[in-house]
Amino acid sequence: MSISRRTFLGWLGAAGVGTTLGRPAQAAGTANFTGYPDALGVLFDATRCIGCRKCEEACNKVNELPAPVKPFSDLAVLERRRRTDAKTYTVVNRYENVPGAKGPLYRKIQCNHCLEPACASACFVRAFAKNSSGAVTYDESVCVGCRYCMIACPFEIPAYEYDKAFTPRIMKCTFCQPRLLKGQLPGCVEICPSEALTFGKRRNLLKIARERIGQFPARYIDHIYGETEMGGTAWLTVSGVPFRELGMREDLGTTPAPELTKGALSVVPIVAGLWPVLLTGIYAISQRKDKVAREEQAAAVAEAVTQVRAEAKAKLAEALAKADKDKKAAIDKEVKMALADAAKAKAQESAAAPAAAPEKKPS
Amino acid sequence: MTQERSLPLRAVPFMTVAAALVLAAFIGCHNPTSSPEDANKPRADIIRIDGLKQFGSLERPAVVYLHEKHTQALAKKSKDCATCHLADKKYMSTKFMRLKDASKQQTMDIYHNNCTACHRQTAAAGEKAGPVACNECHVDREIPSSWTQIGMDKSLHYRHVKAQENKCEVCHHQVDPLTKKLVYVKGKEDDCRYCHLDQTVANVISMRLASHEQCIDCHRKRLAQNQDAGPAFCGGCHDAGLQKKIQKLKDVPRLMRGQPDVTLIQAVKNDGQKVEPFTRMSVAPFNHIGHETYNDTCRACHHSSMDACGKCHTLQGSKDGKFVNLRTAMHRVSAQASCMGCHDAFQADKRCAGCHASMPRKDWPELAGCGSCHMPKPAAVTPQTEPKAMAAMLLEARKPVTATYSDEDIPETVEIKTLSKQFEPAKLPHRKIVQTLVKNLKDSKLAGAFHRDPGTICQGCHHNSPVAKKPPACASCHGQPFDGRNLFKPGLQAAYHLQCMECHKDMGIEKPAATNCTGCHKEKL
Repeated sequence: MSISRRTFLGWLGAAGVGTTLGRPAQAAGTANFTGYPDALGVLFDATRCIGCRKCEEACNKVNELPAPVKPFSDLAVLERRRRTDAKTYTVVNRYENVPGAKGPLYRKIQCNHCLEPACASACFVRAFAKNSSGAVTYDESVCVGCRYCMIACPFEIPAYEYDKAFTPRIMKCTFCQPRLLKGQLPGCVEICPSEALTFGKRRNLLKIARERIGQFPARYIDHIYGETEMGGTAWLTVSGVPFRELGMREDLGTTPAPELTKGALSVVPIVAGLWPVLLTGIYAISQRKDKVAREEQAAAVAEAVTQVRAEAKAKLAEALAKADKDKKAAIDKEVKMALADAAKAKAQESAAAPAAAPEKKPS
Repeated sequence: MTQERSLPLRAVPFMTVAAALVLAAFIGCHNPTSSPEDANKPRADIIRIDGLKQFGSLERPAVVYLHEKHTQALAKKSKDCATCHLADKKYMSTKFMRLKDASKQQTMDIYHNNCTACHRQTAAAGEKAGPVACNECHVDREIPSSWTQIGMDKSLHYRHVKAQENKCEVCHHQVDPLTKKLVYVKGKEDDCRYCHLDQTVANVISMRLASHEQCIDCHRKRLAQNQDAGPAFCGGCHDAGLQKKIQKLKDVPRLMRGQPDVTLIQAVKNDGQKVEPFTRMSVAPFNHIGHETYNDTCRACHHSSMDACGKCHTLQGSKDGKFVNLRTAMHRVSAQASCMGCHDAFQADKRCAGCHASMPRKDWPELAGCGSCHMPKPAAVTPQTEPKAMAAMLLEARKPVTATYSDEDIPETVEIKTLSKQFEPAKLPHRKIVQTLVKNLKDSKLAGAFHRDPGTICQGCHHNSPVAKKPPACASCHGQPFDGRNLFKPGLQAAYHLQCMECHKDMGIEKPAATNCTGCHKEKL
């Protein structure tokens, strides 16, 4: 059966009404989630970072990432703004001539390990997981490579192995989850010479950050970046200059990403559960309708055929009858003519010459 | 010329400039500066004529008016300020062709009629003239400004005192409470800004207007008599470059207004009763004469009146002192006019910042430091001793000197080897560091007053432990990093690095760079 435009729109309308009937699923929303209670985090203090790139080096080593083109000791790399990529989980950027700063400033960039990760909210195969340790980890075995996570991440962190034809993966900082599980520090934290990266429970890091800001009000901006951004992140940043000066987005708001998508995602169970039933029903109905139509048509055709046949038969009979009649008439005529001729001849014979028998007027 | 008196507060800085320029302009009839206009040269005479703002929002962009350009053109024709400015009883009005702003229409007409009339006349005479079409004047223009605020520092004040032959009444006056007239009272001279605020309030004109009327009037009169006089054109006072050329006297005699040489900080109760110096705690002597040399104006401390601090800032706090009690007035670090606020500002100096920038900024002093100001009663003091004599005695006993231990008590080098893993131990030139810090502070009396104990200077690094000749090793407190029981304490490695690197950064020591590991440690082979 072919689907007409009207039919299709009709289905769509029915499906739309169906979705509005469902209650928003609470499972997809996280109204009051404030992070796992003892989750870990890292506090990055931009006033302490000296831009030595040791963290980049350690990250590369502990995660067994490919060696970079230029060695980590080459600080000329800092002249360019860099981003994380498929071979780099973390980068340090330098910011020169920042108003209010005595010298160049540095910022380390890596996955911020959101309390409610946008990447995970966008992933429809659940390749991302927020662990109770605080780490947001990725499972390549289920990833289908849609890269929605890359679009979803407000910090532009996940990267994709475009150079791998058959086994491409999303690559991003793991918070050294395997090391955390072994009781070790993340590679970058362990090597940082000046504790520009402070490791600990996130709730303690917030205390530390507040203490620093309180003790040195002139040195710090009175804000902990990541405390509330995007609903909060495990990695926090304090800085002496406005965060935008360090290339950090200040427009993210405090709403976690899943909050933004839960309205749409909450209908997924409905779509998944209700639509097949609905569509099957609609299909069945239309099937039945077709069947009935077919039967009716068949009956009509049969009737028509019967009728036509009967009519034809009648006509034939009539024609035959007529033919018979004509034939009979012709015969009668011939017979009559023959009889007339015979009578005429008989009269001629009898009248013998001039006496003419009455002539039949031609019709 | 513009008049911006009743503009909103946020317009004040701009207006100040403008007004300054305006006033300077009428005087500037013979104007030594500004040769042919260099379009990009920063100017100090830019006036935005937006006086109509007081009647509502402007319909067209404010006219950007260059005052000196006009005074120079008029001077060539031997015309003076009176061409544009009407004279009131005493001073010339700073407004253009009027004494008061009557109505919007009237004010606007004054500008339109007079400006264009002059421009037309000038053009008719075949000379270079200003525009007459609306959008030639009413156009948004950004002209680089060199305008800088000017103030009366000690040197400039003394030059005026000399020029006026000690006649304070030439400038200083006050309102007689009975007659409501301006009178001069000897020995009661105040800072202009006590009365003349940023904005005109009731009958008291703004500081901007007051200075432009009075200063320029005097300068003009003296110039007319060929006497030594200050500038009478905008840039003379307000151009950043010319301002620097104003003569500075090195030895300015002390300005006397009945102040003490030394005194005790006297607490006063709200009922006016003085608190006996020894009833509660150790008294703080104050070297008034010393502090006079460190500040350019009396206003630096006497922010609202020349009275003693305790008069308004009483022990409990009073309405006159906006309920800021004496303790707060003396100690609050974030207040500019407080003792600690001013001292704290000095700590930004490179010589001090190495240690002090790393110290928490509390609005209240550490208790340990109290004794630097609050001194115990000297043995020679009796209840009959005059407070001033007592203050002199105390100050005598408090000779400012940045002290340190003798060389042999200061380890020459300190080898930091606790953590050597990748690198050889770092050798810290310990004695050299101490000696350099002390040498840097040799000439600072302020530093001397607070580093009299030889152990104080050590506390820059050896912090959070009692002052001692042999302070505890860093590792006695700092250990493994990220200790949940000591949240705020860095680990040993970070403690070393932060201490060294932050001090170097704050003191402007660029070598070795913080990222140059081998500048301090040799790499292990």
